[in-house]
Amino acid sequence: MANIMNSLYDMRLLDDLARKETFIHRLHPMVKLVITIVYLIAVVSFDRYEIGALLSFLFYPVLVFAFAELPIASILKRVLLIEPFIIGIGILNPFFDHQLIVIGGITISRGWVTFLSLFIKCGLTVTAALLLIATTGMDRLAGALRMLKIPRLFVLQLLLTYRYISVLMEEVARTLRAYSLRAPAQQGIHRSVWGSLAGQLILRTFERAQRVYQAMCLRGFTGEYLTGVNEKIKTLDVAYLVAWILFFAVARIYNIPMLIGLLITGVIK
Amino acid sequence: MSHHKVEVKNLHYTYPDGHKAVNDLSFQIHHGESVGIIGANGAGKSTLLLLLMGVLFPSQGEVCVGDVHVTKKTLPNIRQRMGMVFQDPDDQLFMTTVYDDVAFGPRNYKLDEKEVEQRVLQALEMVGILHLKDRAPFKLSGGEKRSAAIASVLSMHPDILIMDEPTAALDPKSRRRVMRLLKSFEHTKIITSHDLDMVFELCDRTIVINKGEIVVDGLSSEILANAELLDTCGLEMPLGLQNCPICGITVKNEK
Repeated sequence: MANIMNSLYDMRLLDDLARKETFIHRLHPMVKLVITIVYLIAVVSFDRYEIGALLSFLFYPVLVFAFAELPIASILKRVLLIEPFIIGIGILNPFFDHQLIVIGGITISRGWVTFLSLFIKCGLTVTAALLLIATTGMDRLAGALRMLKIPRLFVLQLLLTYRYISVLMEEVARTLRAYSLRAPAQQGIHRSVWGSLAGQLILRTFERAQRVYQAMCLRGFTGEYLTGVNEKIKTLDVAYLVAWILFFAVARIYNIPMLIGLLITGVIK
Repeated sequence: MSHHKVEVKNLHYTYPDGHKAVNDLSFQIHHGESVGIIGANGAGKSTLLLLLMGVLFPSQGEVCVGDVHVTKKTLPNIRQRMGMVFQDPDDQLFMTTVYDDVAFGPRNYKLDEKEVEQRVLQALEMVGILHLKDRAPFKLSGGEKRSAAIASVLSMHPDILIMDEPTAALDPKSRRRVMRLLKSFEHTKIITSHDLDMVFELCDRTIVINKGEIVVDGLSSEILANAELLDTCGLEMPLGLQNCPICGITVKNEK
């Protein structure tokens, strides 16, 4: 029970972080959105055997963490939550891809390499997405999506889902608390009530969501979610955008870690 | 000032499952009046409020605000003039900060951001929670949430305030604060509540509803002192009008 309530507070951490006032937070939301999209495409576009070149993309999250003064541990914890899914998807790679390669004197199947690259890609992309939310906030992000001409309905769906997750979780927490208080000796929930419990939750959440929606309509809500911020893109925003995209392009075309390695070994020779 | 009048004529409402919640209600509420709507649980109070706000539409009869009928077409106009505070403030506060929540209404009416800011600050000032403007609503206490919910309605400058149980689940001091706040408004007020002491203090007029029908409509001072009438409707006299359980003397509440 405590877990659910904790994760509820945890979830709102991103909202709290988004209210910070740093150089990164003040950037135009659309700029950050575009950079994140380009970053995601660049990371995903790498071949599954290229791990070395991928490493230069670590640079982006590290810098954002530093400049936006975000707590690294609590964001990485969220990234780890996703990794089990990736392990589930990638764990069979070593069995399907038997070809052997030799790295530093150790012979391993190529499957392990693809698995590792999948793992890294997942880590990088999820981190980038979380950083986007933690530095922009859902409301401003939605504003940016609207500026990119994403249909109103999709943006609204995203926003309301994000808002209602907490509503659902509060209902779940309350129901579970009531259950556990009347079934003190039980571990978890007995399977005989799974059905009715889930059904109850859905109905209650529907009702709750309906009331929230009514409250929105009574205050003139017509489907457009207005956050009041109508920021202009400044020179700094453009410079930030161009700088990162240039970096991503260079990092995509040249294998920077290898070049640095060559440079260092060259110096040693 | 007839344009702030609320008129209900032969109102009927039946829920889709066949439950008749409101049965032939008619009344008029004039500008500046403060009316308490009371009744036992399930008497149809909340349904009536939803009908007034145009969240539900009557199966028969009509609701007029000013001289305008409440229909789908006139809703935006009507809702700008009537503000409703929900029973559970959590239903009403869904943005990330108190400020954004209070600004939600004015922004939906496409006001200039300067005007929005001015209205938000003014509304927060009125309910006395200006210092909470950057806080997240879910971190506030019950009384603060209620104040924020009221501010979120005030920022739309309504002519008519509709409130569902404004003092429910508040501690005595917060309840007193909310009551003082409501008393200071010159809006037309429609309040439903089980807190009959509050109705007695805030509303000059009371409408008693039982099983979806109006039992009596008149002066609060007369209705709320009529123990027999209240008893038949599943209610009781306000505690302030009952005898003191210790000394047997009626004590007057702080006004």
